[in-house]
Amino acid sequence: MSLQSARHPDPVDPIFRGLAFAAATTLLLTLGGLIVALMIGGWPAISKFGFGFLTSSTWNPVTEVYGAAGPIVGTLITAVLSLAIALPIAVCVSVFLTQYCPKAIAQPVSTAIELLAGIPSIVYGMWGLFVFAPWFARTVQLPILTSLDPESFWGKLLAGVPNGANIFTASIVLAIMILPYMSAVFRELFRSIPPQVREAAFGLGCTSYEVVGSVLIPYVKKGMIGVVMLGFGRALGETMAVTFIIGNSHRFPDSLFASGSTLASTIANEFNEASGVHLASLIALGLVLFLITFTVLAIARALLSSQRY
Amino acid sequence: MSDTDFQSVITPPPADQLVLETRNLNFYYGSNQSLFGVSMPVKRNGITALIGPSGCGKSTLLRTMNRIYDLYPGQRAEGEILVDGENILGPKVDVTALRARVGMVFQKPTPFPMSIYDNVAFGVKLYHKKSKSQMDEVVEKALRRAALWDEVKDKLQKSGLSLSGGQQQRLCVARGIAVEPEILLLDEPASALDPISTAKLEDTLEELKRDLTIIIVTHNLQQAARLSDYTGFMYLGKMVEYGPTEELFVKPKVERTSDYIGGRFG
Repeated sequence: MSLQSARHPDPVDPIFRGLAFAAATTLLLTLGGLIVALMIGGWPAISKFGFGFLTSSTWNPVTEVYGAAGPIVGTLITAVLSLAIALPIAVCVSVFLTQYCPKAIAQPVSTAIELLAGIPSIVYGMWGLFVFAPWFARTVQLPILTSLDPESFWGKLLAGVPNGANIFTASIVLAIMILPYMSAVFRELFRSIPPQVREAAFGLGCTSYEVVGSVLIPYVKKGMIGVVMLGFGRALGETMAVTFIIGNSHRFPDSLFASGSTLASTIANEFNEASGVHLASLIALGLVLFLITFTVLAIARALLSSQRY
Repeated sequence: MSDTDFQSVITPPPADQLVLETRNLNFYYGSNQSLFGVSMPVKRNGITALIGPSGCGKSTLLRTMNRIYDLYPGQRAEGEILVDGENILGPKVDVTALRARVGMVFQKPTPFPMSIYDNVAFGVKLYHKKSKSQMDEVVEKALRRAALWDEVKDKLQKSGLSLSGGQQQRLCVARGIAVEPEILLLDEPASALDPISTAKLEDTLEELKRDLTIIIVTHNLQQAARLSDYTGFMYLGKMVEYGPTEELFVKPKVERTSDYIGGRFG
């Protein structure tokens, strides 16, 4: 009797294979369907405004002229700014939790961070609108506005109505939202480093700073790039919290403290009342957001494969 | 004779040849004591081996010698460890400087995520500012001494992680000796290597021992017998017998040592 016949053919195996295949195919079909739907829905706007849809910053439902430059730039600025704020803090938090913090404290702090990551975005939005924005307007924006020469570089950069609803506060709220997620994943990355690597670095006579900066961070660099890009993706697409606090103006943002809009916030704000070309333009915004996110992911892939170590 | 109370026979090297000496060393993981009054005089230059069954404390003893245990709160050592006559367990000791004098290579290869060249230059950069050509020399010398130069000289800019396990381990040796330590600690450096890589590593150690003190923890009795000048046999956190390797292997003075070497336990 051969070994082959000793083992009955497993009836579950082909079924399982089929299920796995079906799941993967469904995912791809959904993705494709989404793109096609966005293209069809957005077509009236794209065909009417052409390339100018991307470059014009006029968004006027009365005259039915729509250009997405304002929301596009607003999306990119808030995402980049929030990442610039959140990334160094997330690295510090995770380094502290894994390298310096006594175990007894590290666990509760880690749990708190995970809880923060689980708070619904609308809660952040309400906090931003009712608590943070007024505070920011009172204690930061007003003093700056009254003390700076409005014609100077800083005066122009920080100009804006002092109501706290602007691109900068939106970026800070976004940063607070992506911070727990990034910290939690960074912490896992650092924990995945074999203890011997850390010991080897200390064994050469490194200080803590040198160990973290020259050995541990490079050790998890690939993973960190991935996390940063996912955080960036989340910041790009975050809707509710930003809609609450960014001020929702469609003009091209000309200062940090000016109100603005993002692709997602514009869609969320106007979808209810839109029809015709307006609706098509909103759908086209969705397509643009999709393309930006896709580009970010592609860049992340390219960055990852260019890392040698 | 109970298990925790047995004789300890130490045959020290000549007093003027000592580089490191532990005196009455106790070690604790929290409230668990794992070393009991260990005294071990180590001869300058040459290889000293530590043998004994798993959990006997030989790795723990090694880890006290560069105070790497400091990284873990709750671990502490009592007693004295003299390196060139200075007690390194003292409160005013600069641990960073100590680790430059007492290097360490671990059981698993631990190349850093950088090029082969940078791996070797890494430690040197911490202490000396060197020109490119000086650094090239230091790197080449360290790689030659670690018997790795011929295998990597054409790919110095490749990742250290791209090497085979045995090469990675010799890279770690090169990294350790590039900073010119007096003492190199090796914690079962060959246990993850195949026989050929092990033989190469042993050749490397034979070369290095002329101007470097090597202390090696090993599970492999043949390796200890082949390589070392002095051997310490540990059991249950105590130094049972310590002396010249030949004496310890050929005519051990303690029964437990001969039992272990003869394969009757452990």
